[in-house]
Amino acid sequence: MESLLDQTWQNFTLFGNPTVVIRQTLSGISHGMLLFLISAGLSLIFGVTRILNFAHGGLFMLGAYVAMSVIGLVLGGLPGFVLSLIAGAALLLLVGGGLEILLLRRIYRSAHEFQLLLTFGLVFVIGDLVMIIWDREERSVAAPELLSGATRLIGVTFPTYRLFLILVGIAVAVALWVLLHRTRFGIWIRAATLDREMLGALGVNTRRLYTGVFALGAALAGFGGALAAPVLAVGPGLHVEVIIDAFVVVVIGGMGSIPGALVGSLLVGLVNAFGILAFPSLAVVLTFALMAVILIVRPWGLFGRPE
Amino acid sequence: MSVTESRPDDAAVPEPLLRIEALGKRFGGLVALDNVTIRLQPGEFRAVIGPNGAGKSTLFNTLTGLHRPDLGRVFLSGTEVTGRTPHALARLGVGRTFQITSVFSALTSLENVQIALLAHSGRSWNVLAWARSMQVTQARALLDLVGLRDRESQLAGTLAHGDQKRLELAIALATEPKLLLLDEPTAGMAARERLESIALVHRIAREIGLTVIFTEHDMAVVFAVASAITVLHQGRVLAEGLPEEVRANPVVHDVYLGETPSDYAAEQERA
Amino acid sequence: MSRTKLGLWSVAALLFLVAPLGLGAFWQFIAIEALVFALYAMSFNLLLGYGGMLSFGHAAYFGLGAYGVGILMAKLSAPFWLALLAAPVVAAVSAAAVGYFSVRLTGIYFAMLTFAFQMLFFTVALKATVLTGGDDGIVGLTRPGILVDPAVYYLFVLFITALAIGLLYRMVNAPFGQTLRAIRDNARRVQHLGVHTRAHCWLTFVIAGAFAGLAGGLFALSTGSVFPGWLDWTASATPIVMAVLGGLRVFAGPIAGAFVFVGLETVISGHTEYWPLFMGTIIIALVLLLPGGILGTRSGRVGH
Repeated sequence: MESLLDQTWQNFTLFGNPTVVIRQTLSGISHGMLLFLISAGLSLIFGVTRILNFAHGGLFMLGAYVAMSVIGLVLGGLPGFVLSLIAGAALLLLVGGGLEILLLRRIYRSAHEFQLLLTFGLVFVIGDLVMIIWDREERSVAAPELLSGATRLIGVTFPTYRLFLILVGIAVAVALWVLLHRTRFGIWIRAATLDREMLGALGVNTRRLYTGVFALGAALAGFGGALAAPVLAVGPGLHVEVIIDAFVVVVIGGMGSIPGALVGSLLVGLVNAFGILAFPSLAVVLTFALMAVILIVRPWGLFGRPE
Repeated sequence: MSVTESRPDDAAVPEPLLRIEALGKRFGGLVALDNVTIRLQPGEFRAVIGPNGAGKSTLFNTLTGLHRPDLGRVFLSGTEVTGRTPHALARLGVGRTFQITSVFSALTSLENVQIALLAHSGRSWNVLAWARSMQVTQARALLDLVGLRDRESQLAGTLAHGDQKRLELAIALATEPKLLLLDEPTAGMAARERLESIALVHRIAREIGLTVIFTEHDMAVVFAVASAITVLHQGRVLAEGLPEEVRANPVVHDVYLGETPSDYAAEQERA
Repeated sequence: MSRTKLGLWSVAALLFLVAPLGLGAFWQFIAIEALVFALYAMSFNLLLGYGGMLSFGHAAYFGLGAYGVGILMAKLSAPFWLALLAAPVVAAVSAAAVGYFSVRLTGIYFAMLTFAFQMLFFTVALKATVLTGGDDGIVGLTRPGILVDPAVYYLFVLFITALAIGLLYRMVNAPFGQTLRAIRDNARRVQHLGVHTRAHCWLTFVIAGAFAGLAGGLFALSTGSVFPGWLDWTASATPIVMAVLGGLRVFAGPIAGAFVFVGLETVISGHTEYWPLFMGTIIIALVLLLPGGILGTRSGRVGH
């Protein structure tokens, strides 16, 4: 017991070391930005359709696999990398739209358990299809040369690709803000999240809006997967891990809220980064405890609205 | 709480069944109830009227424990019950019905009433007895009272709207309330059906000595049965008195009764 | 209960009693699994079918029951009977703690909170290696005396699950179960009849947890092992699938669902490594084509 206390104390002294703190902060933020890419779509879809899409992790995984194939089979280097991001997003846009039209559309009025089961069934189908199309091996994808290696920043050296992730995350957040506040599609999405009755009054084609939102959410996940491919081990089971983190984020931030998804992602990223420092074996437990506490005291999350 | 506090101002007046003292409730910036004081004597059949948003629903929901008042106190037969939970108030004898009919649609009419009877006799927790054969006679008597005896094995969800309203009344009566709150008891009914329906409640209340407080949009219904009327406006008691007094009150006329019949119709639509 | 129903139940009982005894050890093991999962799915349906509470963390109590047995027997050398008795108790105590907070929420938020607690238990089971063996789980649990024989253990499990399901039948037809259904239909109405609805739901959650824990304990003693995967989130879909497959609004629905599910799993995974693909497809087809379940009734009523 004493040794455990000693160890924990030792870990805590790391918090006094500025280099460690800066590095963990950067690492938490970059991890958070990846989480944001997947949870933003999950949250958008929930906000508009009220469906908790368990298959969202599968869409993310598909994006990673597509990117891996593009880089490995089609084109290497920086152009290949850019192409892989575009392909990941574009392909998942189609997959998402297709899934909505074929399956999701039929269950908007069903009970929660049916909605949950349907997306749950998709988790297994996508997981196995990935194994059939590719295989069961875990692979790594190389980042383009420009973005590999390390960069020195405010006194610490940090992997360049992770800094790149932070920049892309910020760019996507800004783009989403513009989409939601400056375009008609975005205003419809926000209206649907707040009050679905209102949409009918506005004369919006809700069928197309729902398809659009699902496709957009899937494209975000696909883009995120493609972007994450160089920092993850791309392999089966990836979707199962990723979706859990995204759930935690969305619950904490508030289901349906994009700012919530951003703050939740950064929070979970940072809690993980520093939790690992303080209690190496309990960091995961910490995030679920955080999720439970939020649900108990504020079920609609930090940025959501009570129903 | 001291004894003097729990008594009305004038010691000669008997203790009211329900005494609401300076009740206040706000939702954010909206004042829903403002200094509402109402006294209800046993046996009264009191109507609470007022335009939409006057605070009728908030008053009912506060009296039945769904909302906790910000200010003021509520006494039931002299006992303070302010801020009690809905189930505690129900156990103290406050029954209610809902504006949107609330029956258990997947259960039969008989089972609906049985649930209420079992709740009242404190047997809801029993995990081993055979519920179908419990308190059947009482349940049938209640269905008889509201005229639904021949519908006992029909699923409540499949009953006609008026029958569901009557079933809800039977459910409420099953808990033997001292005070019954009826929220828009004739909502959604045709004009003729409304008078018939409220007459039934009125007759039953008289027979069993029940004190009733109800909200109602239809003035014909109100003036047909109310023993007294309280007029709410913007969360405040605008007027109170016998039906004739209220009808003659010029202030009430201005804010409420002055509305043309077509306004009533429009309001019914919205409700 | 009508005469035809009584007849059907008697035939089923006879089949359950005799049929597996003629089969080999493998099928006896599968039959045990089906019985255990039937109890597990029934316990879940008490929550969803009767109480309208969609728990997305019910696997936690199955897993906790299993770990209760595993830890008591493997780490504390407790005797078989004590360990088996502890399974529902451990699960019920945990369910009491989780339920206390969860029943304040409804709908999807209730699902999310039960899910969060399950993940909490899962990560603890994974990290508390000293007690749980972490990723490797607990193996080598043995049954005493004649229960070693799978055929005898099958009869033992049949006896226990029949008893438990009989008890559940009494409960759902007692005032407790009737009131629970009324709460599912209209919680507010029940509240104003003087019932502490939250406490009622809480007790339901604890009872469901206890039965799931019993199922988990029985299963651990059948396989002789416990693994953290039993507590993982993908495991929480299992009781939902079985209950929906059989029919949420019929008392025996989850039993039928469990048998069909276990049967399909055994047969299909014997032929292909892609059982999850089939399971996913079956789930999707079920939701879209057969939402009432195998035993679904037209009237949509529960338990008669």
